[in-house]
Amino acid sequence: MGHTDRRRQRGLLVTLCAVVCAFVMLAPSTAWGLTTSKATARPNEEGGSSVIGGLPTRLTWEGTVDDGEEVTAVTLRLPEGGSFDGASTKVTVLQGLTRSELATEVAPEGPQLKVTFVDPATQGLLLRLEVEGMKFPAKGGDVVVEGTYVNQDGEKPLAASKPIATIANTPLQSLLASLDANPVVKAWNSSQFLGMFFKPQLLVTAFATLVPGWFLCLVIVLVAYPIAILLGLVFALMKISRHRVLRAIAIVYINILRGTPLFLQIYIMFFGLPMMNINIDNNVLGVIVIAINASAYLAEIFRAGIESIPPGQYEAAASLGMGHMMTMLNIILPQTVRRVMPTVTSDFITSYKDTSLLSSVGVMELMMFAKNLTSVSGNMTPYVAAAIFYLIVTLPLIKVVTTVEKRMAKSERGGGARPKVKAKDVAAAEAEQDDIALGGVVDAQ
Amino acid sequence: MPSKNNLREAIRLRRMADAVPPAMDAREAALAAHERDKTLTKHHFEPSEHPCVRIEHLMKTFDGETQVLTDVNLTVWPGEVVCVLGPSGSGKSTMLRCINLLETPTAGHILIEDNEITGHLLAADVNKLRQNLGMVFQSFNLFPHLTAKGNVMIGQTKVLKKSKEEAEREALKQLDAVGLLDRADFKPAQLSGGQQQRVAIARAVAMHPDILLFDEPTSALDPELVRGVLDVMRDLAENGGMTMIVVTHEMGFAREVADRVVFMEGGVVVEQGKPEDVFDHPQNERTAQFLGSIN
Repeated sequence: MGHTDRRRQRGLLVTLCAVVCAFVMLAPSTAWGLTTSKATARPNEEGGSSVIGGLPTRLTWEGTVDDGEEVTAVTLRLPEGGSFDGASTKVTVLQGLTRSELATEVAPEGPQLKVTFVDPATQGLLLRLEVEGMKFPAKGGDVVVEGTYVNQDGEKPLAASKPIATIANTPLQSLLASLDANPVVKAWNSSQFLGMFFKPQLLVTAFATLVPGWFLCLVIVLVAYPIAILLGLVFALMKISRHRVLRAIAIVYINILRGTPLFLQIYIMFFGLPMMNINIDNNVLGVIVIAINASAYLAEIFRAGIESIPPGQYEAAASLGMGHMMTMLNIILPQTVRRVMPTVTSDFITSYKDTSLLSSVGVMELMMFAKNLTSVSGNMTPYVAAAIFYLIVTLPLIKVVTTVEKRMAKSERGGGARPKVKAKDVAAAEAEQDDIALGGVVDAQ
Repeated sequence: MPSKNNLREAIRLRRMADAVPPAMDAREAALAAHERDKTLTKHHFEPSEHPCVRIEHLMKTFDGETQVLTDVNLTVWPGEVVCVLGPSGSGKSTMLRCINLLETPTAGHILIEDNEITGHLLAADVNKLRQNLGMVFQSFNLFPHLTAKGNVMIGQTKVLKKSKEEAEREALKQLDAVGLLDRADFKPAQLSGGQQQRVAIARAVAMHPDILLFDEPTSALDPELVRGVLDVMRDLAENGGMTMIVVTHEMGFAREVADRVVFMEGGVVVEQGKPEDVFDHPQNERTAQFLGSIN
């Protein structure tokens, strides 16, 4: 190794240092050669507006070529888990409003997508990459598209895009994706009827999205009903009261509420109260309307139940020295409750279904969710899903009503299980029976 | 159940029926009744005793037209068993129901232990009165939602305000007395008619009333179940010393157990007397005809 070698080495080092220094000093002063102006993704949620990771969607990326730049390649990079594999990319180049063609080579490879321009893209051009079939990371979250570009000076980093909000790929989303891909489902949906009313994908989506509405329905009716029972009982007792005024009030209340549609009552309450500057939360008002409406029907059910108790029960209670209130509380009402149980359950079913009418005034209950989903998807399936949600509650209750009615009929005939009688007592009872049988009739004239 | 309005209506009607003389002085009345009744009943009573129930000129009209009771006069002494006989529609049950005000008398007087119960009574007083008058109905009227034991307990706990334990002890005792201890936890629907009626008797007796009223207690029963109920009633009369007014068609029971038999017809007491007198030598033609028709 001689002097010349060492000198050359030193010269190279100096040159290198100078270049690096120049680069480092110059770089901040120059604008980005290629400015990222847009990065968006198309929603891929069935009947929704979210971007789901892990499922194919379309990424639209736009960048503007700055002054004096000649961009020969752009590479987009997704965070870990994202993929461009199998994606098809459409490259559009716009200058002002004119669309120009540029020959490009697109190479998707894992989380990277490299687009090479045969002729460099020059200043003022808008590059638009539409990548169909790419996937964001399955874990969801805000995704930033990064990358590099190559200009006449070499490869440079791209400014990070604005974050794209994505949601995690849930089992539901995977299920939807697999349904989408399933040939049987495709065949099923090709039938106009099945596809319109029983589209599996929408059924699955609806089940997931209707749940809050279903809960609201249940909450409304479960809060309203106990209130309705109390109100109904009060009006039932008023209607059978001895006092003419109380009776009149009860009759007017019951007849008006039973004689007008619930729909009308909802409109009057929801639109009338705000006009009187009484503003009540929609859900609370929904509870109130349902409770008042149901109370009128329950009042009639309770009244009929109370009046069906034979007069002998009042007389027996009176003979024990019971007053009116005591008789009502201890003798009449407990029996009434048993008798009206099936009818009250039927009425509960009606009230539960009637909550659907609240969708007309913007209460976010089951029907409202179904309506929204249908208007987004243009498909009837969400209504079918809503029907299933109603049936989940009503069918078991209908079954309960039938069973209770049967059991009551049986027990009124004296059927049903008896309490256990101790063996000793049975012997005593049989002996007593024999005694009676052998005793004959007293009347021995 | 008579309401306050019904009672007011009754008072109005009574004032209209001015012809009815007012009740006599209690002591005077007792002596008069004593004099009248001593040949009519097997029951032995002292001259110092006052009647349990005194019915004078009792009249009852339904809806202002159907006159069921025209003029009923009857005196019942403590410990006496009175059987009321008569054809249907003769007013037996109505008279019995007037005694504990299940029907409001239209006119006349009823005195329970020298206290007038006809006229203006507060609801509370009516309830108080009824505690002393046990009633057993033709159709049992057990409370179907309660067990046999519950039926016997409820009056004690709610009206007499007894503790649950005390009421239960009493209930079991009374159920034992009517031979139904083993059925204490049965619901009425699970009991035979005879058993139900015996529970009803236990329910009435558990209130320890002064008088027991029986309104055709065996009429709704199958013949083979009648005996058990009558045995219980006989036991109450003979061993319990209970004052009983029994409206019945059981001639055998009336003959054997009653101290006095009262025959009613057309809303009046037609004939009364010791059972053997009435049954064997009826004085009234209608009584003879009635007894003849059922024998």
